[in-house]
Amino acid sequence: MAQLFLEFLSNTGFALADYRHLIMILTGIIFIYLGIAKHYEPLLLVPIGFGILVGNIPVFKGLGLGIYEDSSVLHYLYMGVTSGVYPPLIFLGIGALTDFSTMLARPMLMLLGAAAQMGIFATFLGALALGFAPNEAASIGIIGGADGPTAIFLTAKLAPHLIGPIAVAAYSYMALVPVIQPPIMKLLTTRKERLIRMEEPREVSKKEKIIFPIIGFLLCCFVAPAALPLLGMLFFGNLLKECVVAERLAQAARTSVLDTVTILLGLTVGASTQADVFLTPQSVGVFILGAVSFGIATASGVIFAKIMNLFLKTKINPLLGAAGVSAVPDSARVVQIVGQAEDPNNFLLMHAMAPNISGVIGSAIVAGVLWSFIG
Amino acid sequence: MYGLENISAHNGWAITFVGVTIVFTGLTLLCLSIGQLHKILGLWENKDTSITNQDRKTLTSNAANAFPKPVMPVKDLETIAQYKLIVERLQQPFSLPKLLDIAVKIGLDRPHSTINTLLVKKIIVPDGKGYFIWTL
Repeated sequence: MAQLFLEFLSNTGFALADYRHLIMILTGIIFIYLGIAKHYEPLLLVPIGFGILVGNIPVFKGLGLGIYEDSSVLHYLYMGVTSGVYPPLIFLGIGALTDFSTMLARPMLMLLGAAAQMGIFATFLGALALGFAPNEAASIGIIGGADGPTAIFLTAKLAPHLIGPIAVAAYSYMALVPVIQPPIMKLLTTRKERLIRMEEPREVSKKEKIIFPIIGFLLCCFVAPAALPLLGMLFFGNLLKECVVAERLAQAARTSVLDTVTILLGLTVGASTQADVFLTPQSVGVFILGAVSFGIATASGVIFAKIMNLFLKTKINPLLGAAGVSAVPDSARVVQIVGQAEDPNNFLLMHAMAPNISGVIGSAIVAGVLWSFIG
Repeated sequence: MYGLENISAHNGWAITFVGVTIVFTGLTLLCLSIGQLHKILGLWENKDTSITNQDRKTLTSNAANAFPKPVMPVKDLETIAQYKLIVERLQQPFSLPKLLDIAVKIGLDRPHSTINTLLVKKIIVPDGKGYFIWTL
């Protein structure tokens, strides 16, 4: 009997845990705290944080419990991540939630979304320089797109062994956008530039909003066919929303589908960050490069806006360039806050949504391009 | 391998350059096409209601040629000239109630009778679409 009891004790988490599990459990608790107490992206950080706890309970390998064991429930749920199914479904919901009218009213601001994607390529080069393989470098670079589903989609295709650190880095930095972006924005702009007020956008008709997802889908996927899974679902979701006749489907896409997939994605990505897989020197490199990627993306967008102003009669506020980082709608909110700090009557939020949304399209195109070149 | 050597070995520069070009090309094309979208939709929506200048000229000359020019007494010519000025302001084809309304406002004599005379003498003729044309 004593033998049985000792055997039981040796299979408990207390016996199997080491310091790495404790570090990861503490990390999970911090994520949950940031999500609940500080309201930093709670819809992402709470599932990811709890997933980190789930994935770092020390278990005896071979019992079919861990996420990396073939017969485990978590493994089956994780297949939606590794097979690249969850991200397009999330994009379906995002499309059904998004109003493209600010972008349609002022299409020129889309170029700021394109400029912000330079962070991805700069980090790709930086990761190659640090010795990462091209597939790993591309997956690390996409963190700069500030788009969680896109980062997970590309990493699942190119470097599945890095999904854990890349997803955690991507979502962490998305939650930290209000901390990372403002110093860069203030450094690169003058007070006079931050005070620029934008013209009122024109009225966008219903017909434009219905036709746009069809044209956008055809054009973007003809240019970058590998972006089809993500952009196809994004524009499809938007068409469901705008056509009105399929409101039931749009409603399902932006509520039950989106929420269900977010839960499963967050939980399984968190659970994939097992200590022995996550706490490696590579992960540290991923986190550092991810921060660099975000910073360069923000700077690229702002600098491109300043370059555009050299040629435009009606100047645009260069702060809008930072909204090209596609953390929707947080980076647009940051632009609003930084702009209002200079002029409380300067309302930049709706204008910032244009580059913000085009950044989503841009990052999906970049993911498609990198997948087609390297995959 | 590290540094620039690793970048060159894996075609990093080429991938970056081509990738940036593709992203900018895609979003620029999208920007240009949706920039024109509202104009194209506007033209499409107005195609039935608007009459182009070419259509106006064709309509007017066809209608004018369809009817022989009446011979008018001198005193009537002055009246006709006044109504012709109003018609030129309204542009052809014009609405008959509007012509009457303006004639009343500017104080022309017996506008109802005059317009009736113009109709009888086929100086004003209907265009078949609810509007009228000046034939003289």
